[in-house]
Amino acid sequence: MKQNTIERNTVRMVLVITMIIAVFPFIFMMIIALKPPGESVTGLNSLYVMNPTLNNFVRVNQIIPLARNAINSMVVSSVGALTTVFFCALAGFAFAKYTFPGKELMFIIMIATMMVPEETSVIPVFIIVRQLGWINNLLSLIVPKIATAIGIFYMRQYITTFPYSIMEQARIDGCSEFRIFWNMVLPNITPALAAWGSISFIVRWNELLWPLLFMRSRVMYTLTVAISLLPTAEGLSTPWQVIMAGAAVSVVPLVIIYFLLQRFQIAGLMTGSLKG
Amino acid sequence: MKESSLLARMWKARVVYLFIAPYFILFILFQLIPLVWSFVLSFHQWSGLGDMTFIGFDNYRRLFTSEQFRQVLFNTLFYWAVSIVTIIPISLLLATAINSPWLKRRSLIQTMTFLPYIISWVAAALVFRMLFDHEVGLINISLNALGLQAQPWLISTRLSKIPITILIIWRLVPWYMLIIYSGLKSVDLQYYEAAVIEGANALQRLIKITIPLISTILFFCFITLTIETFRIFAQPYALTQGGPGNSSMSIVQYLYINGFEFFNLGYASTVGYALALILLAVSSLQLRNMVKRNKEMNM
Repeated sequence: MKQNTIERNTVRMVLVITMIIAVFPFIFMMIIALKPPGESVTGLNSLYVMNPTLNNFVRVNQIIPLARNAINSMVVSSVGALTTVFFCALAGFAFAKYTFPGKELMFIIMIATMMVPEETSVIPVFIIVRQLGWINNLLSLIVPKIATAIGIFYMRQYITTFPYSIMEQARIDGCSEFRIFWNMVLPNITPALAAWGSISFIVRWNELLWPLLFMRSRVMYTLTVAISLLPTAEGLSTPWQVIMAGAAVSVVPLVIIYFLLQRFQIAGLMTGSLKG
Repeated sequence: MKESSLLARMWKARVVYLFIAPYFILFILFQLIPLVWSFVLSFHQWSGLGDMTFIGFDNYRRLFTSEQFRQVLFNTLFYWAVSIVTIIPISLLLATAINSPWLKRRSLIQTMTFLPYIISWVAAALVFRMLFDHEVGLINISLNALGLQAQPWLISTRLSKIPITILIIWRLVPWYMLIIYSGLKSVDLQYYEAAVIEGANALQRLIKITIPLISTILFFCFITLTIETFRIFAQPYALTQGGPGNSSMSIVQYLYINGFEFFNLGYASTVGYALALILLAVSSLQLRNMVKRNKEMNM
């Protein structure tokens, strides 16, 4: 059993090192963000903080409209996640539980579009958004991605197991098809809704290209765009403390949400659909 | 019973069409029309104002002869290739490690190792920019301490792709690890017990049992990672701005600069189509696979 012990210890060591590598940049970021201007950020000095201060966050707030940018991110991510979950589940329900003419063709079109990168058509999309008057309007970050092919695909996989007999019974009781969806299907797929909702939230919060294109004034930026445009030079030196404080502001809300939700079931959902 | 006509069947399913309508309306407005429009634009010269000029294949000719495009194509292929050969094996090994039946505190380990995926590319890139800075960065200080030469990571055309690649590996391994791990959970433990009894070591078990059993998931990882790395934009944008020179610029960044800084909307669309065609070539395999499986599912 000696080989076994060596094996186990190797595995443990690898996992501990992985955890350190995964978490270190977060700790590093917080340390620098809390450093007062007098403390050195060079080399090994960047690994500790003597007199933590929140001053850097105040300075970030002077450079960018922090509260406003945070509200934009919050609105886009939460409204986006809620609507995405609803519309993806609705379409997923249709594909999972009904037969109708054109179903197979529509499904193939949907999967095919998953393979086309959205960057290919980013210029016409920009022109359309401008025509709609959605430049500098958060709608442009929410509406176009309300129902995504990949979201519908996963919802469909999840809803497939919902029993027909319950739907039949509900119809006999006089339920409309939408009532079946709203009152019976949705409450039964909450794990999928939570998983897909949290992933959509994170993706929208972290999105760079679209808000960079569609938001054309500082007050309309999302946090991610705002921190990507923080000044990299102040005279001859780089204001690392301020940059790290900006990064921290954009990261901390997500980390809090992550720890509240604890675990993402999204991967299980995904592999489930792969085996399907 | 009589076969009802197509229209009658469609009328019967009218509510279902309503359920799908939001997706298809948005699909037509924000995907289909733009895709066709982008194709048309790729044969024109247009700055966004005034009239479009039809120039035939000039944009495509320009693309194939452009030194800069060759560079950004090479960079993107570099990110793709290095990501594939590092991320998938690392994720597989870590997922196997986490899946060890005797492991304690598994959920703590999972929570911690997944963290990088939460952070945005931009925020992560800012942290990496500082870590790799040639003056204050921890990486160079550590290299010096080990007796190695400090390197100008972010300001050298030779090295600028390396910090970006490390950033990509750092942030994406957790995601692929999680996907592979949930695949592993479905593997029957009996196979392992039999293999252990027969004296197979960890590596043998990995190659002989695990990899064949989760080949579908590994293939899925390959395809999604390919799509993701071809679409790289935020990573060089926030870490090196694509520089120095064009040494770390990606295809999408090249598209962005041509479209929204130089206002060559036609040429930018050509770049977009080149990107789509390269990706389509790679992912057509997966598409066929999915359509086939879907038919088998008897929908």
